Amino acid sequence: MNHKMIKVLQISSLAYIWIFVIAVDVWIFSLLFVAKKLDDAINASVAIGLIAIPLFIAIASILTYVFFGLQKYAKPEEKANVL
Amino acid sequence: MQESGNHRWGMVIDLNKCTGCGECVAACKVENNVAIVGAEESEMDRTMFWMDIITTHEGEYPDTEVTYFPRPCFHCDNPPCTKVCPVRATYRNDEGIVTQIFPQCIGCRYCMAACPYTVKSFNWFAPDWPEEMNSSLNPDVSVRPVGVVEKCTFCIHRLQKAKELARAEDRELREGDYLPACSESCPTDAISFGDLNDPHSEVNKLAKSLRAFRMLEELGTEPKVYYLSKVE
Amino acid sequence: MDKSTMENSNEDLDLFRSIEYTGNGFYWTVGFLIFVIAFGLYGYFHQVLYGLGVTGMAQPISWGFYIVNFVFFIGISHAGTLISAILRLSQAEWRRPITRMAEIITAIVLAIGGLHPILDLGQPGRMWNLVTNGRLQSPLLWDVTSITAYFAASTVYLYLPMIPDIAILRDRGVKPKWLYQFLSWNWQDTPEQKRVLERAINILMIMVIPIAVSVHTVISYIFAMTIQPGWHSTIFGPYFVAGAIFSGIAALMIAMIAFRKIFHLERYLKLIHFQYLSTLLLIMSIIWFYFTFSEYLTTFYGNEPDEMRVFNYKFIGDFAPYFWLMVFCNFAVPVIILSFKKTKTIPGILVVSFSVLIGMWLERLIIVVPSLANPRLEYPVGIYIPTITEWGLFAAGVAIFILGFLMFAKYFPLISIWEIREGRESSIKEVAHRLQSYMPDTYEEDELERALK
Repeated sequence: MNHKMIKVLQISSLAYIWIFVIAVDVWIFSLLFVAKKLDDAINASVAIGLIAIPLFIAIASILTYVFFGLQKYAKPEEKANVL
Repeated sequence: MQESGNHRWGMVIDLNKCTGCGECVAACKVENNVAIVGAEESEMDRTMFWMDIITTHEGEYPDTEVTYFPRPCFHCDNPPCTKVCPVRATYRNDEGIVTQIFPQCIGCRYCMAACPYTVKSFNWFAPDWPEEMNSSLNPDVSVRPVGVVEKCTFCIHRLQKAKELARAEDRELREGDYLPACSESCPTDAISFGDLNDPHSEVNKLAKSLRAFRMLEELGTEPKVYYLSKVE
Repeated sequence: MDKSTMENSNEDLDLFRSIEYTGNGFYWTVGFLIFVIAFGLYGYFHQVLYGLGVTGMAQPISWGFYIVNFVFFIGISHAGTLISAILRLSQAEWRRPITRMAEIITAIVLAIGGLHPILDLGQPGRMWNLVTNGRLQSPLLWDVTSITAYFAASTVYLYLPMIPDIAILRDRGVKPKWLYQFLSWNWQDTPEQKRVLERAINILMIMVIPIAVSVHTVISYIFAMTIQPGWHSTIFGPYFVAGAIFSGIAALMIAMIAFRKIFHLERYLKLIHFQYLSTLLLIMSIIWFYFTFSEYLTTFYGNEPDEMRVFNYKFIGDFAPYFWLMVFCNFAVPVIILSFKKTKTIPGILVVSFSVLIGMWLERLIIVVPSLANPRLEYPVGIYIPTITEWGLFAAGVAIFILGFLMFAKYFPLISIWEIREGRESSIKEVAHRLQSYMPDTYEEDELERALK
C-alpha cells in the first residue's frame, strides 16, 4: 500500500474518533433536553454532562495532538517521502 | 371535571375485613391480562401477580394470628423504582400513579431490584394463555411482550374510560367512577379506592383513621396504599 | 538504523517471538477458544429467541450471573490502566516490562465487561431507547458514560506508548506491513516526537486515574443508590475500587506468568517484578479485609432486622459456604503464602492469584444475590441456580479475554520494547541523579544558583 493511501487512512481514522466523541457528546447533550422536557432531574443531568462532555473532547484532543505532533517533527526526508 | 393533576389516587385496605379469599388476585389477573405461568415456572418463583396476598403468621401454634395483606403496587409518591429506570419506562404521573410504559422498557430489571416492596414481575418468557382463554383477554390492556417488567397500574385504563365517560356526560369525575378491579371485586368491601386529595372521599377519611398505616413507612417512599390494622 | 540500536534490537529478539513465530499450539488454542465462544453465543441466541427464562433468574432474585460477571470483569479491567498509570506516575522503574500487559488487560476486559449488561437485557433490541430516552439520573447511565470514557481513555493510553514499538516492527518489515505503517503514525524516534509523545502520555496518565476510580465507583452505585439492605452503603464506592484493583493485580500476574512461561521471557519478567506486584497484592488483600470488616461490623452492630437477614444469609445461611470460601481465598491464602519468602515464589504467586480471582468473583456474587434473596416483605424465596446458558456465557467471556490477549500478542509486543531499551540506556543515570537530589546538601543547578545569590 502506498504512503498516500496510508495517510488518508490515518486521517480518516482520526476523523472517525472525532465523530465518535462528538456523537457521545451530542448524545449526552440531547439527554439534557430530554430531562428538561420531561421535568426529570435536570440538575443531576447537567452535573454529569458538565464532567463527561469535556472529558471525551479532551481524550480525542490528546490523540490529535500526538498525531499532528508526530507528523510535524518527522525527519524532513521521510516527511517528503510520505506526503 | 377537575383538572388532571388535582387527583391523587390511593387505596385503603381494611385488614379486619380481608378474609384472604384471593378474589382480588383473580380479578386482577383477568382484568390486566397477567400471564399465567406453568407449574415448572411457578416452581422457579416466576409466577406473576400484580395483586398478591402476603400472609404473615404471628405467635406460636395453636395461638397463631394469621394476617392477609393484599399487596398491589403501593404507588409511592417518592418511588425508588422510577429513579433508577434508565429509559423512563416507569414514572410517576401527575395523578400519583406509578405507571409502566411497556413498549419503552428494555428489561434491565433495575426497577425490580430497587423496589423495597418487590412488587414487580418480569416476563421471563413470552406470555402464554391456554387456548380457550385467548378470546377472554381484556382488550383495554396491552399484552406484554417477553422481556419487560410489569406491575399493578391501579387499572389505569379504567381511569381513562371513566374520564371519557364523564366528559361525554359533561360532568365531573365522581367518587366510585373509577375503581380498580381488585377494589370492585372484593366480596367483603375491604379495598376502598378513591382520590386522596378529595376531602370528602372515603379513602381520605379512612387514611386519616388511627388504624391506618402504610407498609415500610420508615423508608420515606410515601406509599399511597394504606392498611387499616387489625383490631379485635 | 545505527549500530547501537541494531545491537539492541538483536538483544530484544525474545520480545518479537510471539509476533514472528506461530506454533501449532497457537492454532489449537484459538480453535478451542472459538469453540467455547461459539457455545456461549449459541446460548445467547437461545436466550434472545425464548427470553431470559432460560437463565436461573426469577423473582425476587432478578439479577444473576450477568450482573455478577459485569462487576467482576470491570473489576479486572482495573488492573491495567490504573496500575500502569500509578507506576508511571510514581516513576517506579520496575514498571517497564509490566505496563503494556496491564493496559491490554484493561482494554479487552473492559470491552467484555461493558457488554455484559446487554446480555442481561430482556429486550436487547430496544437498546436504542438509551440513546433517545436515556435518563442521566439513573446509575445505569452513569455506568454507560463512565465505561465509555474509560474505554476511550484506556485504549488511547494503550495505543500511545505503543507507537514507538509499532515503528520498530515497521522498520523490521514485519507483515502485514501496511498495518504497522498505518499505526506507527510516521514515528521516527526524533527527540521532538519523543517530547510530544511523552507530554501526551503524562497528561493521559493523570487523566486516566480519576476516570478509572470513577468507573468502579459508579458500578458500586448501581447497588448503593438503592435502599435495599446490604446494598445501601456509603462504603461501597471505595470498597469496589479496592476490590477491583485487588482482582486486577491477580489477573495481571496470571497473564504475566503464562506469557513468561510460553515465550521464555524469564529475562524480562523477573522474580523481582512478581515479588513487587505480589507485595502490592498483599497490601490490597489487607485493605480488602479492612473494608469487608468495616462493612459487616457496622451492619452487625447496628442490628437492623432487614439488614441482619441479609447478613445472616451470608454468614450462617445459604450463602455461608461461599462467604467463608471468599474470606479464605481473598484473605487467608494471600496473607499466608505471600508473607513468607519461602512461598513467595512464582508457583506460590500463581496459586494466590487464582485464589484471589475466585475470591473476588465470589465477592461479587455475595454482593448481588443475597440482598435480592431477602426481600423486606415476606415472600417465598427460592435459591438462585444458574443454568448452562449462564455458565456458557461466563466461559465465553473468559475465552474472549484469552483470545483477545493472544491475538494482541500475535500482532504487537506484549512488553514495551522501547521502554525496556530506554530503561537500559538512560534510567540508571536518571535514577542515580534523582537519588542524589534526595540527599541532604546536594542541590539542583538552579537551586544552587539561587542559594549562591
